[in-house]
Amino acid sequence: MFPAVATLLVASACSSNSSALSGQNDAPVAARDGGSIVIGAEQEPDCADWLGTCAGSIWGSYTMQVGTIPAAFDTRKVDGKWVPQASDLLTGDPAVQTVDGKQTITYRINPKAVWSDGTPISSADFAYTALQVRDGKDIFEKSGYSDIANVATPDPKTAVVTMQTPYASWRDLFSGDYGVLPAHILDGKDRDALMKDGYTWSGGPWIIQNWQRGTSVTLVPNDKYWGPKPHLDKVTFQFITDTAAAFQALKSGQVDALYPSPQLDALSQIKAGVANTKSQVDPVTGNLEAIWLNNTKFPFDSQTVRQALAYSIDRDAIVKRLFGTIGVDKAAQSFFTPIVGGFGESAFGKYTLDLGKVTALMTGDGWAKDSAGFWAKGGKRASFAVETLAGNKRRDLTLQILQSQFTQAGFEMTIHDTTSATLFGTTAPNGDFQAGLYTLIDTFPEPLNLASTFASAAIPSQANGYSGTNFGRVNIPGLDAVLDQIDADVDPAPRIAASKQADQMLADAVPAIPLDDVPNVLLWSARLGGPISINPSEGPFWNLSEWGLAQ
Amino acid sequence: MLTYAVRRVLLSVPIVLIASFVLFVATRATFDPLGKLRQSRDPSVLHRETIRLGLDKSVPEQYFLWLKGFVTGDWGVSTRTGGDVRKMILQALWPTLQLIFWGIVFAVIIAGFIAIYSAVKQYSLADHTLTALSYVGIALPAFWFGLVLIQLLAVLPRQQFGLTDPLLYFVGLHSPGQSGFNLDYLRHLVLPVLTLTITLVAMWSRFGRASMLDALGSEYVRTARAKGVPRRRILLRHAARNSLAPFVTVVALDAALLFGGLVVTEQIYSIPGMGRLFLDSLLTGDVFVLLPWLLVVAAAVVVCNLIADIGYAILDPRVRLR
Repeated sequence: MFPAVATLLVASACSSNSSALSGQNDAPVAARDGGSIVIGAEQEPDCADWLGTCAGSIWGSYTMQVGTIPAAFDTRKVDGKWVPQASDLLTGDPAVQTVDGKQTITYRINPKAVWSDGTPISSADFAYTALQVRDGKDIFEKSGYSDIANVATPDPKTAVVTMQTPYASWRDLFSGDYGVLPAHILDGKDRDALMKDGYTWSGGPWIIQNWQRGTSVTLVPNDKYWGPKPHLDKVTFQFITDTAAAFQALKSGQVDALYPSPQLDALSQIKAGVANTKSQVDPVTGNLEAIWLNNTKFPFDSQTVRQALAYSIDRDAIVKRLFGTIGVDKAAQSFFTPIVGGFGESAFGKYTLDLGKVTALMTGDGWAKDSAGFWAKGGKRASFAVETLAGNKRRDLTLQILQSQFTQAGFEMTIHDTTSATLFGTTAPNGDFQAGLYTLIDTFPEPLNLASTFASAAIPSQANGYSGTNFGRVNIPGLDAVLDQIDADVDPAPRIAASKQADQMLADAVPAIPLDDVPNVLLWSARLGGPISINPSEGPFWNLSEWGLAQ
Repeated sequence: MLTYAVRRVLLSVPIVLIASFVLFVATRATFDPLGKLRQSRDPSVLHRETIRLGLDKSVPEQYFLWLKGFVTGDWGVSTRTGGDVRKMILQALWPTLQLIFWGIVFAVIIAGFIAIYSAVKQYSLADHTLTALSYVGIALPAFWFGLVLIQLLAVLPRQQFGLTDPLLYFVGLHSPGQSGFNLDYLRHLVLPVLTLTITLVAMWSRFGRASMLDALGSEYVRTARAKGVPRRRILLRHAARNSLAPFVTVVALDAALLFGGLVVTEQIYSIPGMGRLFLDSLLTGDVFVLLPWLLVVAAAVVVCNLIADIGYAILDPRVRLR
């Protein structure tokens, strides 16, 4: 499907996948049938209407969506790389054609596929889902679906989706954030009301037995599932929002697995060790932390300054300081996160700490150091503030290290704590910032975020109601055309070539500086068996049906 | 007494209204109900949601629209979960009420005994020890003490004795699939109630001791002694009963604060009570949950104050409520 997917991805995984944690590379322990387990969940989903604006919680996807909502494409590891792969909901890869500028995608549905009430999964379900997203009001994300012209249902097992314009990331449709919903249950009804507190139907291996708000979600096997049945009789996700308490719960046997965010307190707990526990640290992730520069604000309105800035820091040292205890020590070298790494190059790899190059670039651009040792030009010092969300200790530490390194290189950096509302609601859309430290998140192995982050059309402006997310006002000559090709070219080879070109252009222009791919960490009790591992797109519980109690 | 109660309730209305408006403005200025949509690839979602939630209106207009709905019985819908706010608050209130109930029951009993004992044995070694321990108890931060209790009473015994399950649980108020008043509930209850009780006992025992000492030094106790009244009767019927009035006041006022003040305890023990609801709503700018939450907590404060006043009047016949 993706013949040229990412050599970078492999390089990234191997280069920093070593870990001091126990059991990471152990062979899977065979799982037996029966029994139940409890998994600690650090967040409770806000709701289970996956299409609605109340959704968007990654833990909603982990705990309920992945196990109950059938998807056209799964993210699976093929030849060591995570790629979209037609799921067993379909009979095979959909047929894709582009005629007269319109793309049609023909999905053929597995005759065995049924909902938990025995009703066959049909083309009507595809049509219902597509039109709900395209035309619905309370919808979280319409990207891709808003370009659907129509959905034909020539027979119950064939759905033909026609796009108004070619959509290269078409595999994200009926996959990724949404999947396929049952028309016979939801059509003509209030979808949000029927789904938001959990639903009693399923098209996956699990069915939601109970969602006790604030406490837990319990899944039990879906007897009508057409694929392999789960080993376990019951899985309960218990919401434990306090990191320290969650680790104590794992130590005391109250929970059997944890998937903690790699914040400093969690990392120190992991470093201290958890007895009778196995773990996996996976740097192949969709979360990229970067320093985002406002390309229209002094001093970052100069490409030379931005390049000099990139040469001013030892990004590997920062990553080692942050994640070295769990064996991750390589900086991110692209705006294609590792799960879409096949589309990019290690273009930022050329930027390593080199104060000589900083001096050459800055002096060549007319800068000179002032009495305090900072670069200045025309009476203005190369001084900037970095916006960061208050309360995130890992980012605080990152900024403290950056501040020290920038100072040595002659840049004066200050830290400005802010709130999410202020940063993403006002400051960033209005462009009232110089730099910010925040995360770009990919949840599907397609380059869905690149255009919304770097295309000039996505620069927030009065014309678009300040709704774009190109907060850095990036406007690199020639880049828009390349990004358009990435979004529209359904032919994988030229699309990947365009992606790599975009990666190089971004590295040359340095509109922002990638720092680290935030690693994923999974810990589980030694009493568990099965092929337990992290899926960077679908989460750690993507193959929960294969988990069980150890034989 | 009824007139007094009605007047107290009416007087609290403007205070609650002002507080709710301040909270509304502060939350709107600080937190963002559209936060999780801000980095969406879909540029239209922000506009759609701004209109749908009425965020395009001025803050005072939003507030008065909410207030109008609230006084007509519509508590509104959470911007975070899309759920009915009344249901969310009632669901959160129940676990908090359980913690408060058990915490107060144990704290009153233990603090009462310590207060009487310390007062009777004033300046003894035991009194000094209890005094020192109470200062420690007051100084203990709940987030630290809770984790220490978990380690000492749940994790370590399991590891030391090779138990399959810990003796005491510390996640929620029941194990998955369990409900009701049973052994599982009690095993879950011990640690959060202990965390809550330690601080209350420390504070109330100090207050009770002082109150008891006042009573023991009073003229009516001296008279009772002179008349040969038995020591136990003096302690319990004369001194303890009279020292109860201020003690009950403090207990009632502290209980009121607990309705919204168990954030840390509920967070550590994963109890979905009022404190956690407040924290979750605050961090997501869910002002339509925060405002009814504030009103419920304010109502609890008013009711507890009334209970304190009425209790004082019952325990001390010299006090009359007007």
